Amino acid sequence: MPFINEILKYDSLSIVGLEKNVGKTECLNYILYRLPLHKMKVAVTSIGIDGENKDQVTSTKKPEIFLREGMYFSTAEAHYKERRLVSELVEITDERSSLGRIVTAKVSVGGKALISGPSSGVSLRRWVAGVKKFGTDLTIIDGAISRLSSASPAISKAMVLSTGAAFSSNINTLVQKTRFVVEMIGLPKLEDESRDALCDIESGVWGVDFEGNIIDFKLTSALALSSLKTDITAGMKLIYTVGALTDKLLNLVADSKNVKDVTLVVKDFTKIFVGEQAYRVFCSRGGKIKVLQKSKLVAVCVNPTAPNGYVLDSDILCEKLQEAIGLPVYDIVKNNYDI
Amino acid sequence: MTFKSALDIDCGIRYMFETLDIMSPCGRKMLLESQMMTTKRELDFHYRRLNEIYDKDCTQIANKLMCLKDIQTTISRLESGTVLDDIEFFEIKYLSIVSGEVKQLLEQQRIIAVGLPELKDVVDILDPDRLNIPSFYVYDSYSDELREIRKQMRAIQGNGEDLPDEKRAELAVLLQKNADLELEVRRDLSGRVQVYASDLALALRNLSILDILIAKAAQMKKMGLCFPVVVEDGETFYNGMFNPAVKAHVAEAGREFIPVDIAFEREPVTIIGANMGGKSVVLKSLALNQLLTQFGFGVAAHDCCVNLVEEISLCIGDEQSIVKGVSSFAGEIMAIDAVIKGIRGGKSILALIDEPARTTNPVEGTALVEGLLDVVGEVKGGFVLTTHYNILNDNVKRYRVRGLVDGVMDYTLQRTYCGEVPHEAIAIAESLGIDAQWIECTKKNLNN
Repeated sequence: MPFINEILKYDSLSIVGLEKNVGKTECLNYILYRLPLHKMKVAVTSIGIDGENKDQVTSTKKPEIFLREGMYFSTAEAHYKERRLVSELVEITDERSSLGRIVTAKVSVGGKALISGPSSGVSLRRWVAGVKKFGTDLTIIDGAISRLSSASPAISKAMVLSTGAAFSSNINTLVQKTRFVVEMIGLPKLEDESRDALCDIESGVWGVDFEGNIIDFKLTSALALSSLKTDITAGMKLIYTVGALTDKLLNLVADSKNVKDVTLVVKDFTKIFVGEQAYRVFCSRGGKIKVLQKSKLVAVCVNPTAPNGYVLDSDILCEKLQEAIGLPVYDIVKNNYDI
Repeated sequence: MTFKSALDIDCGIRYMFETLDIMSPCGRKMLLESQMMTTKRELDFHYRRLNEIYDKDCTQIANKLMCLKDIQTTISRLESGTVLDDIEFFEIKYLSIVSGEVKQLLEQQRIIAVGLPELKDVVDILDPDRLNIPSFYVYDSYSDELREIRKQMRAIQGNGEDLPDEKRAELAVLLQKNADLELEVRRDLSGRVQVYASDLALALRNLSILDILIAKAAQMKKMGLCFPVVVEDGETFYNGMFNPAVKAHVAEAGREFIPVDIAFEREPVTIIGANMGGKSVVLKSLALNQLLTQFGFGVAAHDCCVNLVEEISLCIGDEQSIVKGVSSFAGEIMAIDAVIKGIRGGKSILALIDEPARTTNPVEGTALVEGLLDVVGEVKGGFVLTTHYNILNDNVKRYRVRGLVDGVMDYTLQRTYCGEVPHEAIAIAESLGIDAQWIECTKKNLNN
């Protein structure tokens, strides 16, 4: 099972599920079980509640998170008190959640625990930086449903994507939807002289003309586009939106006569909120999107079982998905892989 | 009055709080909840401590205080005999370690302003392996039985492989035993640490005080504030008084703040002078510096002497309340009435009133202000008002803003002995570049 070795090349990893019950926790357990702890220190947290016995929404049985001896983990005070392992408390952080302060501890006898760490992008970034002082080599963030922000390259450099029958029970739809997400993650990084300058901008919609001048369109976000009186694509090489990229801006560029000459730029793939249909139209007219920061997608894991009991054929699913995205796809539950 | 409620007085005190670098949440909380000091004894004691800190380099201590957490609740629980959990023990151990480190730094610097209790025994109890790191769990060394059980748990648990049912049951029993033993240890530890509860509370309190003192001293150096001389029932005077919030604002606009000198005792003071001459700023600065003094901050002046009061009343003329259905005139008059009642009741009040009766006709307005000055007579805490009216009372001390000198505003105050107000309104309006025709007509009317 090669992707553990791939993970070891990075110092931060996020695991993101495209829907609830797509086997994300199993995927996390799978990785935690196989990490070579004798030669590295690992810290784990989650942006939702993770490790609960039963799903809070669908009441289906869920696997719990098993933390091994020597691992660091961060969770809310209330959950720390319910842990079923022996651990040494090493820090009470200044982050708070609805379940109390977030505490960090080191496991001294392995066992199961509920993990619910910091949830906002900013506090996650602080967490990643904060646990470094314990000498951790790898930080792992368990993302929650449709909260791709934890996978932002600003927070974690590598990611594992979890998808499955819960996302869609139709293999073709599942493959198509997953492929689109993978395509967004794989968008090319911008290689341009203006890149550093764009990285420093904190809000708004900006343009870069062919001479390399950076122009502020004085728009607070891409949502304010309707107030535009001029064609912002005219004479531009790049258009950079710091916030979300929506269908509105995408369509505006797709409909302009300069669509072939201008490249849309976003911070990273988590800022893209466009529908596949709009994206395909945009591409067919010669449009391009690039990102300032890129995440490394290490692997895609699938869970062919949906919470309603529907089971897809694992082999066909893996094969079709693999073919569509050009990356290895793993059904962790079915195939008890070894490293 | 608490510092928190003083923040609502619109005189620039909030700016002082916002620019105060208190490191810890408990320091901040302590300052906000602190009561205004009203006796010379407590203020002299406070400023002696602040003076000592002012002379020392406290950067290292301040860095340590950054880690200080407010664990008042935990200490109260410990005191009442509750069995603490891991998180609470961690907090206690952490506080003891930080306190020990700060204590050492204080001794190195020979600072005696704040004393810290010896908490080494607490650290020793909670650090059986002498690791000297701020972390806590029920260590194996507390109980051999616990160590044995954990060993067995480890053996069964492995790396989290799927376990057969009988192993699972065995593990559940061990987990329960582990929990029971941990509770026993924590009960014992709680008892042993309980005797130090008051020391821990003292450490937390004094570390918070230290945090506040260091922040105040740093602010004094940064803003050029002075130590006040504090008197009870004496003269208040400021040389080179300024207002840091206004000063910062003026500096942003590329201009310089002009400090003023002012002195008063029991006789009422009137300040007259041109519009935009900074009269209101003088009143606000007086309120600010009185608060700064009585809450033990550095004072915004070159040097000063401050008479202590029980209450500060700043009426800046924004008492209008649509909600209460009170007009600006009524709101103002009622606020001043409350001040008069307070003074009559024998309270020591510093009353600062900006242009009383300004919103009514000048004939009655003048009479109202003159009446006010007559009725208050001598005021224990000080009474300062600004006005544009010609006030002819005898028993007042008069200041005048120097005003326009060669077309430039001179904000300094000078003593004056007549009640006649300066006539500079038109010149100032002109300098603002308003409609020329309006100015012309006004001048014509005035000459008629």
